[in-house]
Amino acid sequence: MRGEPILEVKGLQVEIPVEGAVLRPVRGVDLSVSRGETVAVVGESGCGKSLTALAIMGLLPRAARYTCERITLKGEALTNASPRRWRQLRGDRIAMIFQDPMTALDPCYRIGDQMREILQQHRRISSQAARERSLELLRKVGIPSPEERLSQFPHQLSGGLRQRVMIAMALLCEPELIIADEPTTALDVTIQAQILRLLREIQRDTGIGLILITHDLGVVAGMADRIVVMYGGEVVEVGACDDVLSRPLHPYTEGLMRSIPVPGQTKRGDLLGFIPGIVPRQVGERTRCGFIDRCPYAVESCATGPVPLSAVGNGREVRCAIPAEKRDPQAWNRLAEAS
Amino acid sequence: MTNDVLIMRGVTREYAVGGPFAKKKTLKALRGIDLTVSRGQTLGLVGESGCGKSTLAKILLGVEEPTAGIVLVDGRPLNSYDRLERAKLIQPVFQDPYSSLNPRMTVEAIISAPLAVRGVGTRVSRRKRVEELAAEVGLPRHLVDAYPSQLSGGQRQRVAIARALIGEPKILICDEPTSALDVSVQSQILNLLHRLKQELNLTMILISHNLAVVHHLADEVAVMYLGQIVERGPSEEIFERPHHPYTDALLKAVLIPRPGSRLPDLGLQAEFPSPVNPPSGCAFHPRCPYAQADCSRIAPATRGERRSYRCHYPLNLAEASLTSAAS
Repeated sequence: MRGEPILEVKGLQVEIPVEGAVLRPVRGVDLSVSRGETVAVVGESGCGKSLTALAIMGLLPRAARYTCERITLKGEALTNASPRRWRQLRGDRIAMIFQDPMTALDPCYRIGDQMREILQQHRRISSQAARERSLELLRKVGIPSPEERLSQFPHQLSGGLRQRVMIAMALLCEPELIIADEPTTALDVTIQAQILRLLREIQRDTGIGLILITHDLGVVAGMADRIVVMYGGEVVEVGACDDVLSRPLHPYTEGLMRSIPVPGQTKRGDLLGFIPGIVPRQVGERTRCGFIDRCPYAVESCATGPVPLSAVGNGREVRCAIPAEKRDPQAWNRLAEAS
Repeated sequence: MTNDVLIMRGVTREYAVGGPFAKKKTLKALRGIDLTVSRGQTLGLVGESGCGKSTLAKILLGVEEPTAGIVLVDGRPLNSYDRLERAKLIQPVFQDPYSSLNPRMTVEAIISAPLAVRGVGTRVSRRKRVEELAAEVGLPRHLVDAYPSQLSGGQRQRVAIARALIGEPKILICDEPTSALDVSVQSQILNLLHRLKQELNLTMILISHNLAVVHHLADEVAVMYLGQIVERGPSEEIFERPHHPYTDALLKAVLIPRPGSRLPDLGLQAEFPSPVNPPSGCAFHPRCPYAQADCSRIAPATRGERRSYRCHYPLNLAEASLTSAAS
């Protein structure tokens, strides 16, 4: 049921030289999004999910180098595209929604000016027409009294309104792909639900492909068609949203699911699961499984070489050498009790 | 003396806002808070940004003075204690362990500071106490001599908890204690707080916007909206049968990480109102899906004692109690 692919990324790597070493926060990530599909990229801080998004958008920090085997947008190969070509694409055919709308919007310019700039960058359009298009989108994202908002500065809007403005700006040029990096993390819970519903509706109407980057599995459950779980710069698990949530295959995904208290399912004071240890610094080549130090199932063979991402049927892929049936079902409980 | 460690009566806090060029206005951050917390209880304080929960924490910590109303801790007004006495009674654990620990102090110095400023014990005895507490909160012993920059987020939060506990405070105020942490680490801190709460019979005020966290730790829940407590009661009852429409919306907004869950339609109108210019009548009426005409005129009073709410048209009330509440 997946439509035509919009974006395909293969073998994306990001390297950041630091004093005496090279950090490798993204190590060969493959990612694809189809028309009307929402792909959630899930992981905790330092897993490389945001850098992956920035690399796709060509917005990496200057110190970072990135290489990619192949990146195509609707069939157009962009692997060696010039910075000029990227500037044309950004904001026009690929748009991004950032986590914190206060820092993503320019505090010195009125909302209307910021929106007009995007349109005039990509289209030959009069200021009057740009204004009308901006108004149309502000209405579409449910902003009350949009005429007034156009002449306001970002600080005059509430967090929820600012995020709506960000979404309106992302939609200005009718992009084919939106990358949303933690779009609701900075918002209150009641606003979060509204913004997510808005994104979902817009996507249904327009068939935009959406890459949703988040650490919140609750957001994922409500939004995503497919989940890509990242750990230590690698994709460790891929699958349809409900499949992965009901039957996580990678020990890391399992650990995450066990860590979350859920009202109605966990009781007050229940011992919650957790993943021991911390995310290691991502330097050097992989010579063994990246999750080995924190994995309750790890055996000797996990240390003999890097673990490949292998397909296990049903559109699912997992990067783990120990098949589910060979895992000790009590491993997590023992871990929690030992703490 | 009763078992109530903390009693707040009609606590109000107003701020004058507006710069030199704008008209001065009054921002009512807290509008008459009545709250009682018993010893050994954990009170979860829930609400969105701007509802006044952080102002409440500041008042309890003595950083802010209430404009009106009284705060009694252990039967005595809070402002009758001096600074050190107050620090002995109430200790905070803040949200962000990256900015709440002094980067130039070692973990030992940070944890023992509350004792050192009061001149309790000797350097050696304090060191011993720090090591005991580090073990208690699950901090590896070799990290006692480390600096915060050498610790992970979860370890830093353990340091913050140990520092708060070393003076054996009566009340622990946790302001979003796990919001800055990753999920897999958050659960460890939740496990730790729950264990400490039981072992030390701690009285805890847990401020959080994350209802799953509150559900996991709190015995009682108070829901705040625009400087007022709109609903209060035992945790289970609040989560199972919320009376206030706002509580209901907050509960619906919890996104469950389980297959097949949908994005909830909260039915909430508009956005959070400005505390400078609160709506007339019930503060929630512009957003409330059940609002009637009189909601915009008459502010609902608090009904009920142990399980209280501020609403003209409460939800999930049995017929019998509805008539008794109306009488």
